[in-house]
Amino acid sequence: MKIISCIKPVPDPASRLSINENKTWIKDQDLTFVASEADNYALEEALRLKEKHGGEVVVLSMGGEEAARVLRSGLAMGADRAIHLLDPKFKGSDEFTTAAALAKAIEKDGGADLILAGVQSDDLGTGMTGTMIAAFLGCGHATVVVGVEANPDARSLKVRRELEGGINETVELPMPATLTIQFGINQPRYASLKGIMAAKKKEFKVWSAADLGLEDGQIGRAGAMYEVKEILIPERKSKVEMISGTPEEAAATLVEKLRKEAKVL
Amino acid sequence: MIFVIAEHRDNKLKPITSELLAFAQRVGRDFSQPITAIVLGSDTAALVDELKVKKIDRVIAGEHEQFAEYMPDPYVQALKGIIEKENAFLVLIGHTTQGMDFAPRLAVALRKPLIAGCVEYEKEGDRLILTRQIFNAKMNMKTVLRGEPPYVATASPGAFPADEVESGGIAQVVPLPVELRTTSQRKILERVEAQKGQADLSSAPIIISGGRGLKEKQNFHLIFELAEAIGGSVGASRPVVDAEWLPREYQIGSSGQTVSPKLYFAIGISGAIQHLVGMQTSRCIVAINKDPEAPIFKVAHYGIVEDLFKVVPALTKIFKDLKQA
Repeated sequence: MKIISCIKPVPDPASRLSINENKTWIKDQDLTFVASEADNYALEEALRLKEKHGGEVVVLSMGGEEAARVLRSGLAMGADRAIHLLDPKFKGSDEFTTAAALAKAIEKDGGADLILAGVQSDDLGTGMTGTMIAAFLGCGHATVVVGVEANPDARSLKVRRELEGGINETVELPMPATLTIQFGINQPRYASLKGIMAAKKKEFKVWSAADLGLEDGQIGRAGAMYEVKEILIPERKSKVEMISGTPEEAAATLVEKLRKEAKVL
Repeated sequence: MIFVIAEHRDNKLKPITSELLAFAQRVGRDFSQPITAIVLGSDTAALVDELKVKKIDRVIAGEHEQFAEYMPDPYVQALKGIIEKENAFLVLIGHTTQGMDFAPRLAVALRKPLIAGCVEYEKEGDRLILTRQIFNAKMNMKTVLRGEPPYVATASPGAFPADEVESGGIAQVVPLPVELRTTSQRKILERVEAQKGQADLSSAPIIISGGRGLKEKQNFHLIFELAEAIGGSVGASRPVVDAEWLPREYQIGSSGQTVSPKLYFAIGISGAIQHLVGMQTSRCIVAINKDPEAPIFKVAHYGIVEDLFKVVPALTKIFKDLKQA
């Protein structure tokens, strides 16, 4: 089974984010980038499926040096090879142009039996790109997946989807397919020292927009379906009452207010 | 024309449908656009009755046996057919597990922009500006859509209050025979409700919830101790459950339990929208978090910006002392 696992580089969740001067994105020059958390669950699932059924796991990412970094981490975790979409023209991509480029890369690599991506990214968090890849490839898909059972001989998948209100739905669909993987489906492994050493010898392809046969109007900011007008810190509409003082004072004031003011105790 | 794609289960509209209608009514007034609700199902009579009393212009009822259960391919085929025949301006879909499952495919099929997870909009001249949350609701992004309409948008649950929907319409009902070229390759095998176990929080009067701010599983005893001292139940945010600090049945939020106690403590919980929709109707919400920008403070009634490892033991001590007194 050939599995392609898509990884998005995002700022380390521990970083303090600030908005850039044009208010079009965050200041990302000095940030450390890591794989978006849900993509780690997707890669772990890919590695487990390969361990069970054989085949290979290819990690795929788009971006600058930060993408190379998350791909190397993916190889260190156990992926067999990496594809890096690197071109200044990809800058400013939205979900639509990102998915179009990733789908082209998957086709150029000869397709896959299974394409996995995290359910949503830690930055934009829209959860759209994975399913758009399926739309561009013309294959089936399932979102918010919390369990995968593959039957490669029958070219069939059984996946469990998590719906609202604690309801789980099991669906069957044919391969190839794209799945978006929910947080908590597994416990992602850490890269071992041996894995990190082995990663250095693994195949690492770098493809530009021209390599994918994509024209300027189809990619990056030029091809994007929307423009960012402004990024801002949302205004607080609430009437929250902030309680200050030392921890002991704040605790005492809070209890007093809960009893006398809110009357909930 | 603004299209609202109705979401339903067990022959009833889901609450998100009313939220979408409220969103549509506001945009419709601002941009002078009529509203059509589209409902797809195998038997839509009851759903149409619910929809047609809202203040909208038209209800399109698309019936087909393949719509007995939601599946993305038949939905996209049918919706694309309807939308492309009309002078569509905006297509509104819920940012739910169902909406997120077909909205991306519909946008790609239409080759039109999709803004996912909208929480607000603005009218700037004739242009529609859609706002969505990014970086886990820490920031908002205002977007300008490119090209000619229609535009597709999914709306975050809870962003457009359902009780703002205006009723009293005389919507025209249009039954629509749907023809599908193919059958869905994806098939439902089963649907099960997760067990509630011993942590059924739906009727708990006081809930103390802990989040990722507790840093490690070993620290969660602080939450249990406070809960015991105050006489409340323990809940958790999604990351806590994903990290296996607590079983899934403790999870509060869109994919866990929805609760509305008289007192809710959110401790070390930043307040992702998925968590907020599960607890924001609580009568009194207390947030303890060291990040003053945490979105949880937007829904809280009382807030303490402090190290939870200092405040929570102090609170526990006060409640223990009160009990003894």
